[in-house]
Amino acid sequence: MEPIIETRNLTRRFGGLVAVNEMNLAIERGEVRGLIGPNGSGKTTLINLISGVYEPTSGDVLFNGKSIAGWSPNRIANYGLLRSFQVPRLFGSMSVMENMLIARFADFRLDYRKDYDGATEKAQQLLEMAELDPLRDKPAKILSGGQKALLQIVRGFMVDNISVYLLDEPFAGVNVVVKETIMKVIEQMRQAGVTFLLVSHEMASVRRMCSRVTVMAQGARIAEGSMEEVAANPQVIDAYLGGKK
Amino acid sequence: MQKRWAHLKNANYLLAGLIVIGLAIAPAWLGDYAKHIVILSLYYVIMAASWNLLAGYTGQFSLAHQSFAALGGYASGLLILYFKVPLVVGFLAAIVTTMLTGYFLGRLVLKMRGIYLAVATWAFSESFRLTIAAAYTYTRGDQGLPVPPLFQSLNPIWYYYLFLALTVVLLLVMYLVLKSPIGSFLRAIKDDELAAMALGVDTVKWKLFIMTFASTIAGIAGFFYAHYIVILSPVMLSFNEIGKIVIMVVFGGLGTFVGPLIGAPVIVILSELMRDLAEWNMVFYSLCVIVIMRTYREGIASLARRVLERFGMRRKIALANDKPTP
Ligand SMILES: Nc1ncnc2c1ncn2[C@@H]1O[C@H](COP(=O)(O)OP(=O)(O)OP(=O)(O)O)[C@@H](O)[C@H]1O
Ligand SMILES: [Mg+2]
Repeated sequence: MEPIIETRNLTRRFGGLVAVNEMNLAIERGEVRGLIGPNGSGKTTLINLISGVYEPTSGDVLFNGKSIAGWSPNRIANYGLLRSFQVPRLFGSMSVMENMLIARFADFRLDYRKDYDGATEKAQQLLEMAELDPLRDKPAKILSGGQKALLQIVRGFMVDNISVYLLDEPFAGVNVVVKETIMKVIEQMRQAGVTFLLVSHEMASVRRMCSRVTVMAQGARIAEGSMEEVAANPQVIDAYLGGKK
Repeated sequence: MQKRWAHLKNANYLLAGLIVIGLAIAPAWLGDYAKHIVILSLYYVIMAASWNLLAGYTGQFSLAHQSFAALGGYASGLLILYFKVPLVVGFLAAIVTTMLTGYFLGRLVLKMRGIYLAVATWAFSESFRLTIAAAYTYTRGDQGLPVPPLFQSLNPIWYYYLFLALTVVLLLVMYLVLKSPIGSFLRAIKDDELAAMALGVDTVKWKLFIMTFASTIAGIAGFFYAHYIVILSPVMLSFNEIGKIVIMVVFGGLGTFVGPLIGAPVIVILSELMRDLAEWNMVFYSLCVIVIMRTYREGIASLARRVLERFGMRRKIALANDKPTP
């Protein structure tokens, strides 16, 4: 079966710096793929490239076998490829519920009204799953850091046709309880058929969630396999210990 | 929580209905001058409410909004004067030119935000003003362009009802747009444009839409205003004019639906009361804006709502005391 997401020699330069360098990645349908690597190794840039926030300098991105390089982020999202941000980006002046609904109706159609009740119900279920439902009418800007991270993630599931979700450090700065909740949500959505790319520094969570892990260093893939395999890889050890030169 | 909000919302509809009915029967007691003040207020309600779509909801602080009212007026006035077209053609011309120009301006400032957008739109309206002034052989510049009235009768009552109907219709259209997901898209663009795109909101499309839409509304208002005051001059394009609109919206409440509806009449009436002060007027308003920005940034509308809500809450508590719940 063809991979749902594939990058081919994907490269992005910022001036003299090559943030992502000839990156090749293939994610299978239904996977929760881990992506790890030292600080500055290009993980966020890779997500920005796949989700259309940056245009590649060279190389290609395939989604369901179709090239999406150069597409706008909104067009990519409309096709069911979503992403979250390392620092949660919410609509602060809008209520938690509105944050959810906007994701559902982002791909605007004039007959949006007929889906309204269903959408509100789905939002309510997701908010309950994330234990955010008591806050549904509060403006998003008053949420705590962990609640913001949670809302940002569950909001993506409001997109009706979501099939891939790129999560950039979903566990950064959240407490243990929220972390467990996020993992629970990811597992449930994986069972519902969503494919994930999970960028994280939390090795324990990556080990638990992902059967396959990709390791990046200096913009390129240096290893791939189970957590045990990559952890034993001398190049990986070197990248983490030798780190930034 | 949910119930109380619904109750407030119904109260709002009721209040809006009462105000419209009140305005509809008011001419029985109003003199011509008072009618004129109401007409002027209604014109500025449309201008302020449509500018609020850009600045208050989308975060696009445009300083070109007044030029679209002028454009609507001039498009119709010039066609009628030089080509003797019927009024309805002038009206359609006002719509089409402001729509196209609004779209063009939207394209121009698509990548801009904040102060850059403000400066670019200011430059746009200033060059338009200078063009009108410089092309005085056609536009008659500061001398003013005569525009035919809409009605034969000199009685302002016809304009009064015309502007009342126009305001109701345009406000309703704006309300429906804001209540649809489009309203959320606009606020999302203001809050975090990248996050909106990442969820699939076509921010380019909606920014162009709202600039075109708001400009067309200003053009329609400008058309009727021009045919009401029957003489057009570049004064309609001056910085003072947009300044007044900004003050109305900020005073009433930036980014709230009722804000401009309160702000516009208040400022129109105040300017009439202080007409003798001439230019000092603007100084007074500017000071007002500074005071509001420092003390109550959300404007009078939010203050009023908060008071109402407090009142609603007190009632609820009182009820709860009457009948203790298990
Ligand atoms: N917009 C940009 N302009 C210039 N340089 C950039 C830009 N974005 C990223 N970089 C650089 O590209 C490199 C990769 O950054 P990136 O954020 O992708 O790393 P990362 O693996 O996500 O790191 P972290 O683990 O700290 O989040 C870094 O050296 C960074 O400074
Ligand atoms: Mg990163």
